[in-house]
Amino acid sequence: MMSGEFIAFMGIALVAVIGGVLLLNLSNVMHMMVALVFTFVSIAGIYVLLSAEFVAAVQILIYAGAITIIMLFGIMLTRHEDTSEAPGSSWRKFAVFLGVLGFAAVLYFGIYNLDLPQMENTLHEKNTMQIGEALYSKFVIPFELTSVLLLVALIGSIMLAKKDDEKEGDKE
Amino acid sequence: MSGVPASAFLSLALILFCIGLYGALTKRNTVIVLVSIELMLNAVNINLVTFSKYGMMPNITGQVFALFAMSVAAAEAAVGLAILFALYRNKKSVNIDEMDAMKN
Amino acid sequence: MENAWIIPLFPLLSFLFLLLFGKRFKESSAYVGMLLTFASLVYSLLVLFERFSSPTYKQEGVWLTIGDVQLTAGFEVNQLNALMLVIVSLVSFLVHTYSKGYMHGEERFPVFYAYLGLFTFAMLGLVLSPNLLQTYFFWELVGVGSFLLIGFYFYKDEAKAAAKKAFIMTRIGDVGLLIGMILLFWQVGSFEYDAIFAAVAAGEVAQGMITLTAILIFIGAVGKSGQFPLHTWLPDAMEGPTPVSALIHAATMVAAGVYLVAALFPLFTASDVALTTIAVIGAITAIFAASIGLVQTDIKRVLAYSTVSQLGYMMLALGSAGYVAGVFHLMTHAFFKALLFLAAGSVIHAVHTQNIEEMGGLWKKLRVTGPLFLIGTLAISGVPLFSGFFSKDEILIAAWEGGHPILFLLAVIAAFFTAFYMFRLFFMVFTGKSRSEMKNVHESPSLMTLPMIVLAVLAVVSGYVNTPWFGTFLGDWLVEGNEALGHGHVEGPAWIMIVATVVSLAGIYLSWLIYGKKSLSRNWLGAQTLYKVLYNKYYIDEFYSMTIVKVTKGFSHFLRYIDTYLVEGIVLGVTAFVQTLGRLGAKLQTGQVQTYSAVAFIGLAILMVIFALTGGYL
Repeated sequence: MMSGEFIAFMGIALVAVIGGVLLLNLSNVMHMMVALVFTFVSIAGIYVLLSAEFVAAVQILIYAGAITIIMLFGIMLTRHEDTSEAPGSSWRKFAVFLGVLGFAAVLYFGIYNLDLPQMENTLHEKNTMQIGEALYSKFVIPFELTSVLLLVALIGSIMLAKKDDEKEGDKE
Repeated sequence: MSGVPASAFLSLALILFCIGLYGALTKRNTVIVLVSIELMLNAVNINLVTFSKYGMMPNITGQVFALFAMSVAAAEAAVGLAILFALYRNKKSVNIDEMDAMKN
Repeated sequence: MENAWIIPLFPLLSFLFLLLFGKRFKESSAYVGMLLTFASLVYSLLVLFERFSSPTYKQEGVWLTIGDVQLTAGFEVNQLNALMLVIVSLVSFLVHTYSKGYMHGEERFPVFYAYLGLFTFAMLGLVLSPNLLQTYFFWELVGVGSFLLIGFYFYKDEAKAAAKKAFIMTRIGDVGLLIGMILLFWQVGSFEYDAIFAAVAAGEVAQGMITLTAILIFIGAVGKSGQFPLHTWLPDAMEGPTPVSALIHAATMVAAGVYLVAALFPLFTASDVALTTIAVIGAITAIFAASIGLVQTDIKRVLAYSTVSQLGYMMLALGSAGYVAGVFHLMTHAFFKALLFLAAGSVIHAVHTQNIEEMGGLWKKLRVTGPLFLIGTLAISGVPLFSGFFSKDEILIAAWEGGHPILFLLAVIAAFFTAFYMFRLFFMVFTGKSRSEMKNVHESPSLMTLPMIVLAVLAVVSGYVNTPWFGTFLGDWLVEGNEALGHGHVEGPAWIMIVATVVSLAGIYLSWLIYGKKSLSRNWLGAQTLYKVLYNKYYIDEFYSMTIVKVTKGFSHFLRYIDTYLVEGIVLGVTAFVQTLGRLGAKLQTGQVQTYSAVAFIGLAILMVIFALTGGYL
């Protein structure tokens, strides 16, 4: 039953996981970000498989585009040569690793026992239109609130970044 | 209509979430920690979209939720980076283990 | 009499008042103490006179209820208590007055008066107690008071040591008392004197148990009254101020032991063994202390040993079933011993030394003190017509009738010794050549001599309340309505009185030959070794320090090692553990959010794993 869909899923999932693992294991910060872009893009692919074309597009726009670029700015504007890990934190890494492993095992146990009935759905038909209708009818208030949130985040970011500038300017 | 079971998507989301979690808890560079958190948010979005399709009542709401989560994530990333810059100006470092102002 | 409980409160008030405001009053705080003790005295006298005509009054209230056992607290006015009240408050008042002159110029003057108040309060409370438990409280309080007063000159090492010694030695006795008390309570189920006596009389307590408890309680009295072998603290207690010595020796501390035996007399009479023990200990103490007194050169120490000896007499009397004789002697002794101590204090006040070898010829210089001292000396020596004569006579009769010829003989010899050393003291201090360095000797102020005069009068006349010639008023009154105490007066052969007179006169004559006329060599004791032995008090102290103290010290060293290495080790281990724990905890507080979240997440993961493995139910 190796349908084409399944093969596509396996390929995309493989790319996503490899990107994540590389994120953890690469030493250069820039390389990490590049690995992450692969993961974000493959997640967009996953969305397509899940009949969410609009979300996939937004994923690529926001994550692979905006957030990655912002993060790259963050790396570039700060001192990024220092990639060495702190000594003595290996026990913590190990402990966190064990914790994550246990967490994953427990959750996988739950997922494995999950048995969802296959329902007919029409998500793939005019997906973007459906989302638009939902956003502007049912979710109009959260939608407007989101715009406020983004405005606040914008102003907040500017203030945070700017305030210290003035202080330093005063000092100098 | 689909040959891919829901548990496969959920497992992928789990793996990505765990990777993000591990990175967030162990990486020294604050930017990478932020990025790891974005990865965790992405894993959650996969879950949302998966249940939007394979849930008990397939519905567009899951995808709308994923969109909201993305917008919030974007805002979070922006603010997080702004804080990072402010910290960097004071500490001249982005190493997370040097940010111990809570200790004193 | 219903308000007799107020008597001890006056000195307590004095104590508290002077403790709080003493600094402001300075030397006038003496008037506070004097006034309040005088109030006690007046009230005591009223109670005594009322007691003559009315029966024993007793009032109690429930203090504690434990299960079905009720502990009571209250007061009782029987004959003995009423008599003791008067003796204690009288002597205390006179000592208060005397101290005003004696302690003049002392920096801690108000403190001294405060302590006196506490001491008097304790003793008055003791004699009013209707049950053993209450008695024990005041008994210990008396111990505290004596500790404070003996160690009043705490900057002197000897005084410190003496205070500690007094406390520890009496404490040994107190343990005996406590054990005896608890045994009695176990047997009888009550601390009440009346209940105990009733149970004993009804034969509810086994004979062996009576003997045991009686002897244990007697051990308490031995400690407090300075009986052999726990007597050594009493002479050392002379390091305290002289008025304190008078108080301790005459009215309070040492009288407490005799009082206890007298108060529990029905218990003791129920056991022949216990009575004999008391008599033997008393006789041994009497002769033993008297022989030491023969050679001491410190005026106060001579008096101290004479006190020990006289207390031995009282114990002998009580042990020979001579209740009246013992209490009678307790009373007369209180007066003449207080007189002697106050007079000695006056002498010391005048010449600033306590060594009788350095005194002499003071008769002419101390016109008042000299005759007063002589009266005291005559009284204690048992010269006829003085109070000591009658009470000693009673004791000798009691000892003779008690059927212990050997003890009687010892008592007679002790009487001889007493007469001898008391007059040795008198002759050495008041007659002979006056020393050149004693130029500016002056008589004490009237504030000091007046109390002595009062006591001197009492030392003479107090004997007449109970004589074979003019009636035995005191004796009859004391035993009235209580057959357990024996007869008011025991008729003895007339020759006993003659023997007593002869013996005391012989002692005086011998003493005069040696120290007055000096026709006999002072080295009459001949054998230097004997002299040395006596001078060193039979090496009792040395013996104690060689044996008991050494063993105790060794044991305490052993315990100290246990303490240092075991107990302290455990304690240090605990602190080290806690500190390590704390350090680890502090290490966790790095201030790094990442670490915090890592720890929190690991905790969550562990919980989740446990949750999953146990199927959701812990």
